[in-house]
Amino acid sequence: MTGAHAAGVAPREADSASASAVKAMQAEGRLPEARERYADLVARHQRRASRIAFHYLRDGAEADEAVQDAFVKAYTHLSSFREELPFEVWFTRILINGCLDRIKARTRRERWLVSAPEPAPGQSDFTDRVAGNGPSPEDQVLARERRQKLASALSRLPDRQRSVFMLSHYEGCTSREVSVLTGLNESTVRVHLFRAIRRLRTLLTDDGSARQATITGGKRRVLT
Amino acid sequence: MSLLSAFGRRRHLDDTAFSELWSATAVGGVATVAATDAEHLESCAACRARYDAFTDWLADARGDAIAAADEVFPAERLAAQQSQIMRRLEALERPARVIAFPKFAQPVATTRSGPQRWIAAAAAAGLIVGLGAGELLDFRRTPRVHQALAEAKPVSPAAGGSVQPVSLNSDDALLYDANPSPRVEALQALDAITPRVLDLEQSR
Repeated sequence: MTGAHAAGVAPREADSASASAVKAMQAEGRLPEARERYADLVARHQRRASRIAFHYLRDGAEADEAVQDAFVKAYTHLSSFREELPFEVWFTRILINGCLDRIKARTRRERWLVSAPEPAPGQSDFTDRVAGNGPSPEDQVLARERRQKLASALSRLPDRQRSVFMLSHYEGCTSREVSVLTGLNESTVRVHLFRAIRRLRTLLTDDGSARQATITGGKRRVLT
Repeated sequence: MSLLSAFGRRRHLDDTAFSELWSATAVGGVATVAATDAEHLESCAACRARYDAFTDWLADARGDAIAAADEVFPAERLAAQQSQIMRRLEALERPARVIAFPKFAQPVATTRSGPQRWIAAAAAAGLIVGLGAGELLDFRRTPRVHQALAEAKPVSPAAGGSVQPVSLNSDDALLYDANPSPRVEALQALDAITPRVLDLEQSR
């Protein structure tokens, strides 16, 4: 959204205009045209939607399904879209609600089932890792470790703090947009963001300093 | 310079203050940061450098998170996702297909003719009458069968004469039984060495 990426006013208006056009086509029964026009909207918002879903769900396949469901749901409920709200915000709200529903369902499921450990996201075959022109294996391992630590620290935040942090920092939403997306007051959004950053900083710095102390001490200890 | 601001200038900012400063500026809206912190940040080079490191750390976190998501969703996967979405939308607009089961592929006549209906009703009535009559006949025959069985039953010589009807109207009747000898032969020895209730009461 805007915020950090302030260049997005015109595309936003274009999105809302496209959504309204699709809505009108649906009402007139010109369905193939509506789908074709909607495909442009999907293409524009797909990557961002996939990121958001992945940040929430931490699982590629589930995030993929959540994004598909959100686009299908937005298309079928386009009659309830109002132009005063940007399409991006309206759609993101549908997506986030879907992700939260999936998290709830997963929590219920995990009470009864113990899933097998999955490979880390992006982990590929040995041959792919060895023969490549990308970053060195050491860099890849370090980057992966850093991402895992960040994801782990994020997962330890309360739900609202995590949502606010991801939307405002990763997606560049303003406090007003986050407020519309999450249903929280704008000042509450700022408080949650402040607390999220402070907590993340503590979690990641403590982890880093503890690890450093372990390395310099020359002894292997179990960190608690 | 007020005493508060002088104190603010002396004190260096910590991560909490940085978090507050950053969150106030990042999401826009009305800034709620303490003025002393903002002033201090402007004037103190050390804090400014630490704040820059803090913002770099946040930028790295954002970059890492986006890279992790993009690694999972390469362009090919997004293309496949888009085509899947379009397929689903197309399927939504098509009317649902009803696949006929082979046996009922031909239309089945649901109306029945009058005589068929009468035949079914007569069969049901006959069944009910037959069941009722069967029950009645069985009821009349049963006592005779039991009587015939009782007459035909032989009396075993070992049990003859020693079997007596036992009345178990109450537990007391069992305790104060007039006939002290047990009816089972195997228990007679045990009975002989067991004192009786009547004897115990008389001895009191």
